[in-house]
Amino acid sequence: MTLFQLERVDFDVADRRLISTLSLDIGPGVTALIGRNGSGKSTLLKMLAAQAAPTGGTVRYRGRDLRHWTGRSLARDLAFLPQVTPPTEGMRLEELVALGRYPWRGALGRLGRTDRSAIDEAIALCGLDPLRRRIVDTLSGGERQRAWIAMMLAQGAQTLLLDEPISALDVAHQVEVLGLVQRMSRARRLSAIVVLHDVNMAARFCDHVIALGDGQVLLDGPIADLLDPDTLNRIYGLPMQVIPATPIPVVHPF
Amino acid sequence: MKLAAAALLMSVALWGLAAVVALPLSDWPLPWADPLSLRPQQILLAYGQLPRAVVALLAGALLGLSGALMQAVLRNPLADPTTLGVSSGAQLALVAATILWPASLDLGRGAVALVGAGTAACLVMALGARRGFAPVTVTIAGMLVGMLAAAIATALTLSQGYYLLSLVIWNGGALTQEGWSGGLHLGLALIPALLLAGALARPLVVLSLGGAGAAALGARVGLIRLAAMALAVVLSAVVSAEVGLVGFVGLAAPAIVRRLGARTVGQVLMSAPLAGAVVLSLCDSALMAVAALGGPDLPTGALTGLIGGPLLIALLPKLRAIVPPGAEAGDTAPRRAPSPWRRVGVLAVLTIAAAVVTLVAGRGPGGWTVIRGDLAATFLPLRATAILAAAAAGALLATSGAVLQRLTANPMAAPEVLGVTGGASLGYAAVIFLVPEPGPVMLALGCAGGGALSLGLLSVHAMRADLAPARLLLAGLAIGALATAVLAAIMASADPRAWSLLGWMAGSAARATPGSAMLLGVLALVALAASLVAARWLEILPLGPEIARGLGLPVARIRLVLILGAGLATGAASVLVGPVSFVGLMAPHIARSLGLLRAAPFLVASWLTGAALMIAAAFGARTLSYPYDLPLGLFATLIGAPWLFATLLRGRRR
Repeated sequence: MTLFQLERVDFDVADRRLISTLSLDIGPGVTALIGRNGSGKSTLLKMLAAQAAPTGGTVRYRGRDLRHWTGRSLARDLAFLPQVTPPTEGMRLEELVALGRYPWRGALGRLGRTDRSAIDEAIALCGLDPLRRRIVDTLSGGERQRAWIAMMLAQGAQTLLLDEPISALDVAHQVEVLGLVQRMSRARRLSAIVVLHDVNMAARFCDHVIALGDGQVLLDGPIADLLDPDTLNRIYGLPMQVIPATPIPVVHPF
Repeated sequence: MKLAAAALLMSVALWGLAAVVALPLSDWPLPWADPLSLRPQQILLAYGQLPRAVVALLAGALLGLSGALMQAVLRNPLADPTTLGVSSGAQLALVAATILWPASLDLGRGAVALVGAGTAACLVMALGARRGFAPVTVTIAGMLVGMLAAAIATALTLSQGYYLLSLVIWNGGALTQEGWSGGLHLGLALIPALLLAGALARPLVVLSLGGAGAAALGARVGLIRLAAMALAVVLSAVVSAEVGLVGFVGLAAPAIVRRLGARTVGQVLMSAPLAGAVVLSLCDSALMAVAALGGPDLPTGALTGLIGGPLLIALLPKLRAIVPPGAEAGDTAPRRAPSPWRRVGVLAVLTIAAAVVTLVAGRGPGGWTVIRGDLAATFLPLRATAILAAAAAGALLATSGAVLQRLTANPMAAPEVLGVTGGASLGYAAVIFLVPEPGPVMLALGCAGGGALSLGLLSVHAMRADLAPARLLLAGLAIGALATAVLAAIMASADPRAWSLLGWMAGSAARATPGSAMLLGVLALVALAASLVAARWLEILPLGPEIARGLGLPVARIRLVLILGAGLATGAASVLVGPVSFVGLMAPHIARSLGLLRAAPFLVASWLTGAALMIAAAFGARTLSYPYDLPLGLFATLIGAPWLFATLLRGRRR
């Protein structure tokens, strides 16, 4: 089963082509999207989230062209977290998570029992129960990131799209957030596509990897394929070594 | 360079045309001719038209330099004496001095203008400093300060009656001269100004790295900012004192030289005066030529304003690249209320109490009384009508402001800056001038039509720019500036009908009939209901378009709907109370500072606060100068604005 099918997708900004005739299938599980700065990772993720429309070609989600999904029906199935999460003036954690029910209830519908249980479950899954009445802006970076992921879970989404969710976090919080994504995927059969800069974190927590360079696919396969010096050199343009370690080898530049 | 020469040549030709029409070339006096032997037409040329051409060049150069300095200091391509409210401050000081303390003008008009310009600049800079001098926020703050100053100046003008219409003409920026003294003053100011600007060029280059970066290079950031800004303010005050309000030359000149290839701060500083001189001279000569050929004699400031509005819109795309990330975000949130709906309830009780008290209490010939008996039967319905109209207008403006502040996530957003009121004023003016003896219905239609038209223009522009909220506010400001320029030109025509326009702009609830007050009341209730329907959108929209889209909101469509709704509410309110009031900005601020941060209680509290503020303003306007009514809109502005600026200044320093 494939989640996304991209067919000859182009993406232009002003006078530059960021992505050119890209064809790609993305399956279930946790997929790391890696590549150098400007390789088109974030652009690709935004197209998958229907935040940006491709200039040419088609993107299909669950076999249906993204242009034919309506906003709310897509949001019930697919959730997107931008790279920079906005400030949430005076909002409590549980209120933020409750916003995730908008795709189900719209502007006016009252939140019913199913909504309440979806919200409670999302908060519990992210281990945020003790914090539910805290103001989101007063949480720590990792807690805040988990709160946003809880909102995505409350959406009932089967697929999570995360744009560099750990770039501003210390290593403990990085493990906390990516560990949560991995557990979600195992326990609830969710899929996630995560833009990452840290190869070791990708190798540790993801199932598949897609590497982009100049808007082209450089690597598409199981995560184990990433742990190869030649492949890494091709992706980053830098000689890299793969050092044996537990549970998996680590990657480091020479 | 070629372009500048061509423009200058064109300007000289137009000026020559005007001069030759007035006096054939063969009759022109020689420079060394004895003044006493000149005929009146010759005197007019030697002491009127010739110095006017020189003044246009010099004033343009000074304004160009002033604008270039401000843009360098604030790193904001939209800064200029007009957009920062500095010109309006100078104008207010001069109007106030003329009316309240004429003796102070003996100190020199320049000194008086400088006090006003300096005060306005300090206020804008203080507001800007709280928000890291974010360009959009500083520009909006400047425009608000300018609007406030203009409102106070209007109030003073109105209080003195018809005699001050000449003052209004001066406000329009007329370059008419009666001798060489004006040119001499400006010339004396320009030379040291150029030298000082040259000395400041290199420090300003360092400053262009941003405050922290410049400090890291060892620059004394505060001192550089202060010196350059002080120089810019002095220059604009000198021009204001000499020729009045000539807008947007300081905006246009640096924009033009940048387009022509000036890149560094130094290049811009040295060439902007030249461009400013050419631009203003061209505008002035064109108007002189039009007047000489039998056309209307319009003040130059009106024409530069007409050019300035569209120019401001054209410059908006330049902003994107230079805005520091996060700088436009609002200030920190106040502490959240523990039980918001209880506070809303208290607010509702207070509002109703205010309405009841102001209904029955009042001032009579014998002092403060409670109305009763026959008097009550006669006057209560009248008062009730006025109070209902004022409260409904306040509630409408407040709702519109609350929606806009949520939509843009910018605490400076307000219906006043949407350009809707400017458009409504133009519609009102059009009806006054085009329809003989217009009735209230015609006038209301004119207002609504003008407001709707400017709203339509705004939406078209906004749709093209993907409705980025910050650009929208600035586009609204540009439309407002355009309207102000046209209105200034109308005022300057000295037509008696301009007087009724001025009266409407001051705002009053006394014109309301029971029918129109009821209608406005119903509209206010509809607006409240509609905003509550949209409450969930308004909860999500401040989180930004990506999150909103991710949750399935049709963002562009929702923004359009909300903006149209806010514009209609503003237009409906301004038909009755006039275009000027800060209620739409103030009421949401008060609601927020009460800790009502979630959308629904925030919207209800804003609505109530707006109504209460206008009820209080109506009471004050009715009683303070009994038995005369003061203009309501002006009263609301005057009591609200100082409080508003105090709140904005209290925000946390970044």
